[in-house]
Amino acid sequence: MTKPKLLLVDDEEEFVDTLAERLHLRGFQVLTATDGEGALRLIEKELPQVVVLDVMMPGQGGLEVLQQIKTRTPRIPVILLTGHGATADGIEGMRLGAYDYLVKPINIDELIKKMLEAVST
Amino acid sequence: MKASEEKKVAFFGKITAGIAHEMKNVLAIIRESSGLMEDIMSLSPEALISYQEKFKNSLSKIKDQIDRGVELTDRLNKFAHSSDETIAKIDLNEIVEQLITLSQRFARLKNVVLKTDPRQRSDQPVIIETFPVQLQMALFACIDSCLNVIPSGSEIFIRSHKKGEKYAVHVACEGNISSPTDLARHILTSDQWPELEGIVASLGGSVELDSSGPGIWLFLSKE
Repeated sequence: MTKPKLLLVDDEEEFVDTLAERLHLRGFQVLTATDGEGALRLIEKELPQVVVLDVMMPGQGGLEVLQQIKTRTPRIPVILLTGHGATADGIEGMRLGAYDYLVKPINIDELIKKMLEAVST
Repeated sequence: MKASEEKKVAFFGKITAGIAHEMKNVLAIIRESSGLMEDIMSLSPEALISYQEKFKNSLSKIKDQIDRGVELTDRLNKFAHSSDETIAKIDLNEIVEQLITLSQRFARLKNVVLKTDPRQRSDQPVIIETFPVQLQMALFACIDSCLNVIPSGSEIFIRSHKKGEKYAVHVACEGNISSPTDLARHILTSDQWPELEGIVASLGGSVELDSSGPGIWLFLSKE
C-alpha cells in the first residue's frame, strides 16, 4: 500500500519535528506546520491526503482550523490530537467532521493505523 | 461553599489543568525523541553511524524536556503548598516567577510572551507577610485581564517595586498596541476588574490601571 502524504500540525515544534522524522523513516511523505494559518496554506498548496491536527494551538485553535479545512477541502480526513481530560474536544471535533481523535502522548503505531484507515475510507 | 472558596477552587483547577497540559507536551516530546532513538537503533549498524547526529539531537531534546518538566513540577508543588498556611511570609519576586511559569501556557495560547521585566535590577528577595493564595489569584487576574485585551504577538512584563513602605507589582503590556487607552478601558470595563479589586482589597492593598501601556499596578502593604 502506498504511504499517504500527510500534514502534521502542532505548536510544539520539537514534537512535530520528531514525529515527522519517525514517520519519514517509515516511508511517509510528511509536511509540518506549527500554527493554523501555516497549515491552511500548506493544505492549499500541497493537498495532503490526511491531516493530523492538535486541538490546543495559539492563534486559531485546532477546532477552528478543522472547520476551515472542512469548508475548503472537505474530502481531506483530519485526525485530532487532544490532551487527557480534553476528550470533549475530540468528540466536538468529530461532530465538526474530524475522522477520529487520539489522546497525547500518542502511540505512533496507533496513529499510523488511524491514518491508513482514514485515507482508505 | 462560600463564593470566595469556590473562586479559590476554580483558580487551583485552572492552574493545575494548564500544567497538566504542559506536562503532557513534555512527555509527548520525550516519547517521540526516545522513539526516534529506538527507530535508529533498529536500523542497520551502518545507519547508526550516519544517524549519529539525529541520535544526539534526540538525547539533547530529552534532557531539555526533563529540565522543563522538573521546573513545572517544582513550581506546581510550591503552588500546591501555598494553601498550607492562610498567612505566610513569602518572597514577592519568587511568587511572581512562579506565576509566570504557571501562566505560560495561557500566554502561549494567545501568542503572547510573558516574562519578568528585564529592567528588574535586583534579584534580592522581597519578603512580605500576606495571604499567598489570594496574592497569586490577584497576579493571575492581572495577567488574565491583559491577555484578554492585548493583540497576538504582544508581550507582558512583570516587575516588582518598593514604593516607600509599600510594595508594588507592575504588569505591563508592550508590543504593537495602537490604542493603549482603548485597551485600558476594556480592562477597566471587563467583568474581571471588580473581581480583581475585591481580591486585592482582601489583601489590604489596592489596584490601579496604568493607561499608558496599558498595564496594571498592584499595591501591597508589607504586612
